[in-house]
Amino acid sequence: MLKNYLKIAWRNLTKNKAYTLINVGGLALGMAVTLIIGLWIQDELTHDKNFANKAKFAQVFQSQTFNNNTGTGPAIPLPLAPALRNGFNDNFKYLIMSSWTNDSYLKYEETYLSRPGNYMQREAPELLGLEVLKGEKDGLREVNSIMLSESTADALFGDINPIGKTVRISNEHDMMVSAVYKDMPYNSSFRDLKYIMPWTHYVNTNEWIENSLDNWGNNSFQLFVQIAENTTMESVTNAILNIKKDANEDTAEFNPRIFLLPMDDWYLRNNFENGKQVGGRIKYVWLFGIIGAFVLLLACINFMNLSTARSEKRAKEVGIRKSIGSQRRQLINQFLSESFLVVLFAYLMAISIVLLCLNGFNELARKEIEFPWSNPGFWLVSLLFIAFTALLAGSYPALYLSSFKPVDVLKGTFKAGKYAGLPRKILVVLQFTVSVAFIIGTVIVMQQINHAKNRPIGYDKEGLIQVPTFSQDFEGKTDLMREQFINSGAAVEMATSSSPTTRIWSNRSGFTWEGKPEGFQEDLAWTEVSPEYAKTLNLKIVQGRDFSRDMATDSLGVLINETAVKYLGLENPIGQLLRDSDEEDPNPPLKIIGVVEDMIAQSPYEPVKQGLYVYDRHFNFSYYNLRLNPNQSANQNLAVIERVFKENFPAIPFEYDFVDEEYAEKFAAEQRIGTLSGIFTALAILISCLGLFGLTSFVAEQRTKEIGVRKVLGASVFNVWNMLSKDFLKLVTVSCFIAVPIAYYIMNGWLQEYPYRVILKWWIFALAMLGAMGVTILTVSFQAIKAARSNPIKSLRTE
Amino acid sequence: MLLQLNNIFKWVNSGGQRIFLLKDINLNVEEGEFISIMGPSGSGKSTLLNVIGMLDAFDEGEYNFLDESVHTLKEKHRANLYKEYIGFVFQSYHLLDELTVKENLEMPLLYKKFKGSERKAMVADMLDRFNIVGKKDLFPAQLSGGQQQLVGIARALISSPKLILADEPTGNLNSKQGEEIMELFKQLNNEGVTIIQVTHSEKNAEYGSRVINLLDGRMI
Repeated sequence: MLKNYLKIAWRNLTKNKAYTLINVGGLALGMAVTLIIGLWIQDELTHDKNFANKAKFAQVFQSQTFNNNTGTGPAIPLPLAPALRNGFNDNFKYLIMSSWTNDSYLKYEETYLSRPGNYMQREAPELLGLEVLKGEKDGLREVNSIMLSESTADALFGDINPIGKTVRISNEHDMMVSAVYKDMPYNSSFRDLKYIMPWTHYVNTNEWIENSLDNWGNNSFQLFVQIAENTTMESVTNAILNIKKDANEDTAEFNPRIFLLPMDDWYLRNNFENGKQVGGRIKYVWLFGIIGAFVLLLACINFMNLSTARSEKRAKEVGIRKSIGSQRRQLINQFLSESFLVVLFAYLMAISIVLLCLNGFNELARKEIEFPWSNPGFWLVSLLFIAFTALLAGSYPALYLSSFKPVDVLKGTFKAGKYAGLPRKILVVLQFTVSVAFIIGTVIVMQQINHAKNRPIGYDKEGLIQVPTFSQDFEGKTDLMREQFINSGAAVEMATSSSPTTRIWSNRSGFTWEGKPEGFQEDLAWTEVSPEYAKTLNLKIVQGRDFSRDMATDSLGVLINETAVKYLGLENPIGQLLRDSDEEDPNPPLKIIGVVEDMIAQSPYEPVKQGLYVYDRHFNFSYYNLRLNPNQSANQNLAVIERVFKENFPAIPFEYDFVDEEYAEKFAAEQRIGTLSGIFTALAILISCLGLFGLTSFVAEQRTKEIGVRKVLGASVFNVWNMLSKDFLKLVTVSCFIAVPIAYYIMNGWLQEYPYRVILKWWIFALAMLGAMGVTILTVSFQAIKAARSNPIKSLRTE
Repeated sequence: MLLQLNNIFKWVNSGGQRIFLLKDINLNVEEGEFISIMGPSGSGKSTLLNVIGMLDAFDEGEYNFLDESVHTLKEKHRANLYKEYIGFVFQSYHLLDELTVKENLEMPLLYKKFKGSERKAMVADMLDRFNIVGKKDLFPAQLSGGQQQLVGIARALISSPKLILADEPTGNLNSKQGEEIMELFKQLNNEGVTIIQVTHSEKNAEYGSRVINLLDGRMI
């Protein structure tokens, strides 16, 4: 019996090739989108899921309130760890202090590498569950040891056994390789942990850290923990919430709260707003999940619509089968197995599409998703997915077709009732509602990106490179290097800075100035620069003057940005002093010598932060910023700069970033969402149009006789086209009016997250509506005009 | 007694008026009869045939088929009953276009859950009997009208029904093909199959043993 069903199904499919292409192709496309989104969601949800102790693994976070603004982050002060050990040791299995993940230069003999890694306390390998391939698990025991990841070891040592060999770090310290561990999986928060060095070494070799051992105010470190077996995250958080406030009076005014962020939340729910956890990437998981579900729904609607539209053709078969003795149940089975066959077929096509597109998608989404061939879970889910889709897409036609009365259909008097088309119409409306909403959403995302991109950034980012200088070798050579770079003709200006142009790495408070309001808790971005910084960046001085090498007092001068002028409440900023509020051992006061235009260093969607640009007296710089010679090609310039760099620092690899590319990175997340939603929208529209195209052709076929009669009576091609198109256009218009408020509501909510945002204009919605109608007219017209031009004699004779 | 209709009424309501399609039909059919139903268009011939074939319901009266009272049966039992005992032949053949001759013949057997080997034998038998072995892999569209009707009759016969209901079986055929089909019915009747046909043609009616005339839903 099943064979018979499938045979009929197969022959139906091969007989109506255009129909099959639309039906199976549309479904395959929808499934492919859903599959890819499914794989992406799976990848997102399994982030950080490969740690055996993940349920007990957490990072210590801190919330503090400045001027009623609560900031939350993982940065914690050094004395916290001993305080937790002393007071709450029972709650923890491991407490591991860690540095931030920073790039270092690793050198073995003649091989240099720049790799990211951390300094961590001794039990880190236990906490992280490191799989040690060579050497010892307790690899951080010796103060001058280093553990390397497999990829780092391979790159540095090749075939040589690295254990016991010496690696020179940043051309300063010699460390002995104690272990090689398997690289962390790519979808883990520790993916960049390419080496680990002992925490004690970090403390011993950095004076500022040793000085911070009792300093509750210096939040510059990370603390990872594994809580004890018999306790929960909540109860530990409750216990330690006020530990800092109780331990330290100086910082108590900021109301510091210490809590645990479980590993489960690190990746997907790590956003905080005013001290409250407000989600994070999880919203994109939801967003794309919904998009995937909708695209699949659209494809299923096509399948249903085309199947029921064809029902009059299949009605005869139903009548014959029933008169021969088929029961309704058997017909339902038949149509469901047909649907199953089509869905299976579409699924195979979808898999091919996914395989073809996966590389491109990975590039777009920055993923390393592989097709899970060998994952039985995937196949099980696939099977359920096929069954579900087959049922979803096939149930309506199955129930509808099998309900026909044999007498009616065999007598040839069968006419679908007045309301038989209603469900089909509702489905078309649903389809186009989704499509129009997608169009509006995509246009608004794109607009927001462009809006932020076109925002004036305050400096000239083209032809500007930054070269990292993370080594003490660079100390005291700034002026020499500047001279050499400029003399070489490759750069026209150079300045150092303590943080990259596109970031703020340091914030300061603890100043007093004239007119400072009582109790004002200032928070200022802090960048230390060499005197030519503004010149190098083409940063405009709007008041006062730039740093000058001729003025000896400028080493205690400071440039502030326009926002800072307002923030500090200064009427005449030039000449004002910013004094250190520490009365016992104050730093010398800083004198404001100039005001620079606001430049965007952080998010292009946020207001510019109040900032200070301070003369760098202590070699605190991390980057050379070079303005390339505009009269030469970038390649020429870079070759010369690299040569000059190598002559001076032969032991350090030459690395650089183009500032404009770094800046573009800020748009990456939104750009990705924009591109992806653009693609999905295009597919959604394509699928909807395929369905509409199929429907029109069936309607035209159904009304062949009517069209013939009308033509004989004198209807023009235009009349017929109008008659056929009008119905569909009406449906799409209804969709538009449903979609617009929904899209407005959702997109308005999305935009609220961006302080610097585009204003929603009515014409975006009008444009999307016009677009949808235009597409509808085009799609429908093809079939309508074909039907309208056919010879009426032919169509009437076939009756 | 094969079947018995007592006081059968069938009507539709249209615009507040009751229009009778069948009015007080009383009919006894013995096994082995060959009955022709005649009458002008709209007189209720096909409706009567469909009622007998249990494809259509009636509003009043009694219908007994082989001592089962059809009017009290549930749809499923009714389907089992006609699946077992009745074969249909249609004016426009109603073969499934997507299936070959052989597969069309096989279909009723599938619904009666015959085994594969049995089905094969029965289909081969039927192809042989109607001399259409050479056409077994063709699709209906590749056959002439007469040949299609031949397949239609073969399909109706394959499950050895007691009763064949034919609704103008020669209506779409030319006179020579029509004659051949009627000859075939005659022969089947002689073999013991009961036949009820609806026809317009006096000539075809003469093949039968009894004629029932209908006018406006009433037997005359």
